Amino acid sequence: MKKTWDRLLQGYSFLMYVFLYAPILIMVIFSFNDSKLLAVWRGFSLRWYEALIFDPTVWKAFYNSIWVASLTTVISMVLGTMTAFVMIRYGFRGKSILDSALYFPVVIPEITEALSLLLFYVFTGIPLGAVTVAIGHIAFSISYATIVIRARLVGFDRSVEEAAQSLGANELRTFFHVTLPLILPGVIAGGLLAFTVSYDDFVKTAFTAGPGFQSLPLKIYAMASRGGVSPLLNALATVTLIVSLCLALVRLRLSKT
Amino acid sequence: MSPTVIYLAVFFFAPFVIVLLYAFGMIDIHRQLHFVVSLDYYFDFFSSVAPLVFGRSLLMALATTAACLVLGYPMSYYIAVKSGRQRETLMLLVIIPFWVSFLLRTYALMTILDVNGIINVTLLSLGLISQPLNLMYNTQAVLLGMVYNYLPFMILPLYASMEKLDKALLEAAGSLGAGPARSFLHVTLPLTRSGIGAGSILVFVPAVGEFIIPQLLGGTESFMIGNLIWTLFLKARNLWFGSAVSIILIALVVLMVALYMKYITKGEEMAI
Repeated sequence: MKKTWDRLLQGYSFLMYVFLYAPILIMVIFSFNDSKLLAVWRGFSLRWYEALIFDPTVWKAFYNSIWVASLTTVISMVLGTMTAFVMIRYGFRGKSILDSALYFPVVIPEITEALSLLLFYVFTGIPLGAVTVAIGHIAFSISYATIVIRARLVGFDRSVEEAAQSLGANELRTFFHVTLPLILPGVIAGGLLAFTVSYDDFVKTAFTAGPGFQSLPLKIYAMASRGGVSPLLNALATVTLIVSLCLALVRLRLSKT
Repeated sequence: MSPTVIYLAVFFFAPFVIVLLYAFGMIDIHRQLHFVVSLDYYFDFFSSVAPLVFGRSLLMALATTAACLVLGYPMSYYIAVKSGRQRETLMLLVIIPFWVSFLLRTYALMTILDVNGIINVTLLSLGLISQPLNLMYNTQAVLLGMVYNYLPFMILPLYASMEKLDKALLEAAGSLGAGPARSFLHVTLPLTRSGIGAGSILVFVPAVGEFIIPQLLGGTESFMIGNLIWTLFLKARNLWFGSAVSIILIALVVLMVALYMKYITKGEEMAI
């Protein structure tokens, strides 16, 4: 009785894993298909990747995505480290408010945040483009970065800082030569998360980009909603996916050190 | 810290104030501020398709949450009772889909469901059907897409609550004569309630405002709040009505989260 029950549970879970992975695997496999038709296998080929390389709009979208994500990362890392530090080390009025305010951008539906930012730009007359997209990405990436970096600061041993200061290092020197190297894995992990969130973002980008700016997700969305499925789009989605997965793997490694 | 506070105040909270101003008609088409509150856009709300769209979105989010719970619960249990490395690997396999964006995962589903997708091509070539099936652009496809994308959000908190579960309690229930069904209903289920609550809120709240999935997989019959907001802002450019719709969505979400907080703290009190 117990045995059959265990078997059933195992079989069921296996099917659920297949459900989670099959669509992604099929999408990746058929990006290597030597056929114009998506789902008729004609043999292995890199022709769709070749087509991507010679498409300047793909390069432009890739460049835009990386540029915005890099800007978002640098600013979120600096502000996130500062915020995490202050929240761990000091007690101040409004700390619990700041704490819940940090979770706000993570919890609320992204579309409401996206449209509010669009209205803000419309009302203030700021022209839409790469910068307005980055401003929006930073607004939620700060939260992600702070949460990750703060988690790393919780177990920090302050006696090493005290040692440095008793040996004559001032506060600034202590921070850059003792504290920062020790928390660096956490800071980088926070930065990588900020990069990933920005790189993958669709909704906020779509609302705040204006007509002249296209990122990889916007390009993929435009192709999918206009032309439906195609092996070329499979290839573009696969390239985008590989970048996300590599970022995530580096984050995973960092969290284990 | 203060730069972060200033940043969030300017680029996160101030924009919401502007949504409020638009939603109550206090900003006109020339971007002039007026101190006259108008409720016109809320009257418009109830005479438009919006209530229908809201009702549908709530139902879709509810169905998604229920399906994720029913499908995810046994799977979380399966992972939680494993030990050591095996458990880590199985959990990692649930987390990996988190690393792939909703857009890419939804597109991946399209390659399966499309008229030229895997299912249709396979069935056609096997001669089981003579016409391709319409698997996309309907409510079922949206529901499938939602469950596919949100399932890991349910499994994670469920797993966390089960991992903490003391197996001795189940053995105690069993040795006192409770069958598997009874010990599940009276021991396992109540003790994993916090996981069920957290998972439900993690699925329900973003699912209500979902945009990409109904836009790519759905048709007119599965038009949701996210699609309505998208159309009002980016196609119709009706910022005022769009703001009113958004305010109602935000109010709804805040209410849900508040109820959840109350429910969870109450549950914790009862557990003590």
